[in-house]
Amino acid sequence: MTDVMGTNAISYTPQIMANQMISNIDGAEAQQASWEEQLSTGNTINQPSDNPAGAAELMQLNANLSRAQQYAANANDGAGWLSLGNSTMNQVLSALHQAQQAVESVSGATLSTTPSALQALSDQVASARTQLINLANTTYGGQAIFAGTGNVGAAYDQDGNYLGGGTAPTRTVAPGLQVAVGLTGDQVFGSGTTGLLGTNGILAQIANDLQSGTSSSIANVEGSDLQALNTAVAQVSAQAAQMGANYQQVQAFATQATDTQQVLQTQMSQMDSTNVAQVTTQLTESQQAFEAALWATSQLSQDSLVQFLG
Amino acid sequence: MGDLALNIAASGLNAQQTAMDTISENLTNANTPGYVSESAVLEPEPGGNTLGVGDGVRVTGVVQNADQLLATTAQQTQGVLSQSTALQQILQGAQSVLPEPSSSGIGAALSSFWQAWDAVNQDPSNPAPRTQIVDLAQNLVADFQQASSQLSALQGNAESQVSSAVGTVNTELAQVASLNVQIGATQGSGGPANSLIDQQNAIITQLASSIGAVAVPQGNGTTNIVVGGVTLVQGSWSDTVGVSGGAGTMALVAQTSGATVPTSSGSVAGELAAVNQYLPSYQGQLDATANALATTVNTQLAQGYTSTSTPGSDFPLFVGSGAAGLTVNAAIVANPQLIAASATSAQPDATNDGGNAQALAELYNAPTGPDAQYQSLIESLGSQVQAVNNQVQAQTSVANAAQQNLQAVEGVNTNDQMVQMLTYQQAYQASAKLVSTVDTMMQALIAAV
Repeated sequence: MTDVMGTNAISYTPQIMANQMISNIDGAEAQQASWEEQLSTGNTINQPSDNPAGAAELMQLNANLSRAQQYAANANDGAGWLSLGNSTMNQVLSALHQAQQAVESVSGATLSTTPSALQALSDQVASARTQLINLANTTYGGQAIFAGTGNVGAAYDQDGNYLGGGTAPTRTVAPGLQVAVGLTGDQVFGSGTTGLLGTNGILAQIANDLQSGTSSSIANVEGSDLQALNTAVAQVSAQAAQMGANYQQVQAFATQATDTQQVLQTQMSQMDSTNVAQVTTQLTESQQAFEAALWATSQLSQDSLVQFLG
Repeated sequence: MGDLALNIAASGLNAQQTAMDTISENLTNANTPGYVSESAVLEPEPGGNTLGVGDGVRVTGVVQNADQLLATTAQQTQGVLSQSTALQQILQGAQSVLPEPSSSGIGAALSSFWQAWDAVNQDPSNPAPRTQIVDLAQNLVADFQQASSQLSALQGNAESQVSSAVGTVNTELAQVASLNVQIGATQGSGGPANSLIDQQNAIITQLASSIGAVAVPQGNGTTNIVVGGVTLVQGSWSDTVGVSGGAGTMALVAQTSGATVPTSSGSVAGELAAVNQYLPSYQGQLDATANALATTVNTQLAQGYTSTSTPGSDFPLFVGSGAAGLTVNAAIVANPQLIAASATSAQPDATNDGGNAQALAELYNAPTGPDAQYQSLIESLGSQVQAVNNQVQAQTSVANAAQQNLQAVEGVNTNDQMVQMLTYQQAYQASAKLVSTVDTMMQALIAAV
């Protein structure tokens, strides 16, 4: 006779029965334990041997997820820099417009060229220069935003000398993509005689020309000084626009990084999350199989001819 | 008349009695491991009577219902199963040393480490993110050291498992040889040696399970033991085995000849595979991961500068090599400002530049970086554990089937024995009845005279 395992056993000894029972119970219990593990941890991959390729891929996805979270953090930090930078640039521009108006008021027929009027205009330009130096030294989190990577505390000293460096700091907001979050002083305010802030810069020059009040210096103010000032203000406007564009960019990448995180998390849960309904069903089935194996063992027939012979 | 009938009946009584003894022996030993059920061999006694009536029955011997082929198959399958089981135990231990995927393993520690470099970039002059880098680097180093020492402990355990198995094996080899002597003596003096043979079989099964020993019966009742072509027991002579070599080269050697004993099955074979092949490979891959971390970080640091324009090559972050030997540069631990975070050496740009730190953060998925090495270690470890798990499962079925087949022939089937007992009992009763009848007939004859 053949048994269900396909072996041709001519006879069954009690030891064979016992070994089979033990084997069946062990198998059913092991199966039950593995479903229970999946259900209680919520993961299908609890150790590498459950799914070696899947485990390695999960680790890769985890690494990518951490990186995406960091990109979002970098983008938010950049947004803080750029938002402060934008509002500062607006104030810079409004101060510069006032200075432009003051200079423009010198030309025209109704100019009052009395020394006191000129002195007042000169003082206005000088105080605009002081205000701009203060604005140029705006800091975010203790770092001067117009110093590039050159000087932490301040971009300019009180005389308008540039203390910073020539490189703007950047933040990584996507793989291989860096966005500048600040500007260097030279980029915004220029340098040397065409710069705005120095003691030999345009504003200082205008203030001096207005104060001296000679006809040649007034002519300078109306002509070359005003031209230089307008050029410098156009440069500031262009940089402000660039900063605005950078701000939009980091906002967009912050959103993208958040989206990427969601995509990765969905991928990871598809790979690893326990399908609770399915596993619960299989656990119930395996529990029933285990109980059946236990019951069958308890019914292991102690019967043999011994009982029936007198 | 009566004489012959009585003698024949008497032989019947004796024969059935002996047969009952055999049944009794079988039933008593039904659960004895290694016991082979016996049968009494009854043959008619040829007689010299001119009419051709025989001389009764005699028991010519009590033989074991042994099947050498089935016994050998069962031993071999058990040996293969023991090998896989021993290996499985050790490999699962290795897997628990590196719990992945997890939020607290080396993989997660590497992730935190890479992201912390962006924090340095966000505020390069601030000491706090730099101190964080140092802390995370020290955590990584500690994780590597712990994993490495746990793997070493597994290695040591496996090696001592081999040593202690060898002690037991030597005892068993000596026992087989001494049983050979006893069996030879018993059979030489004409007696049956069934229980001695059973004892020897039990020991040989143990040897098959531990070193894959093959029993070679010599036909004169003795058995030789051969392992991988090396004879360890021959008749009354037995060899001892010892262990030679260390991790990577460990093997059994026969003491007398010094020849290596190749083990291709048995639990010792599984342990040797772990000691020589699997565990050193995991240790090596872990070392490679640690080295990849050191190389990746130090190479990138060397391309940068500190805030005072000192080249980063002066201050590598990791020193030493291997998972056990890697440490964080003490100079940097004392002064985290020495971390070469700046991408430029120009002043004053370098004072607050984090460009090199930024580049370091992007090395999280470098193809030759530590993450890639570690993922491949986990994948190969997982595959090997998965494979050995499947092997154990498959070989358990095979070993169980072989055991079942062996038991079916050599085991004691209670019902069979009961039926035979009934037949012997009836035959005994018939012979007894015959004696009584002959006696009555004699009485009648005597009374008639």
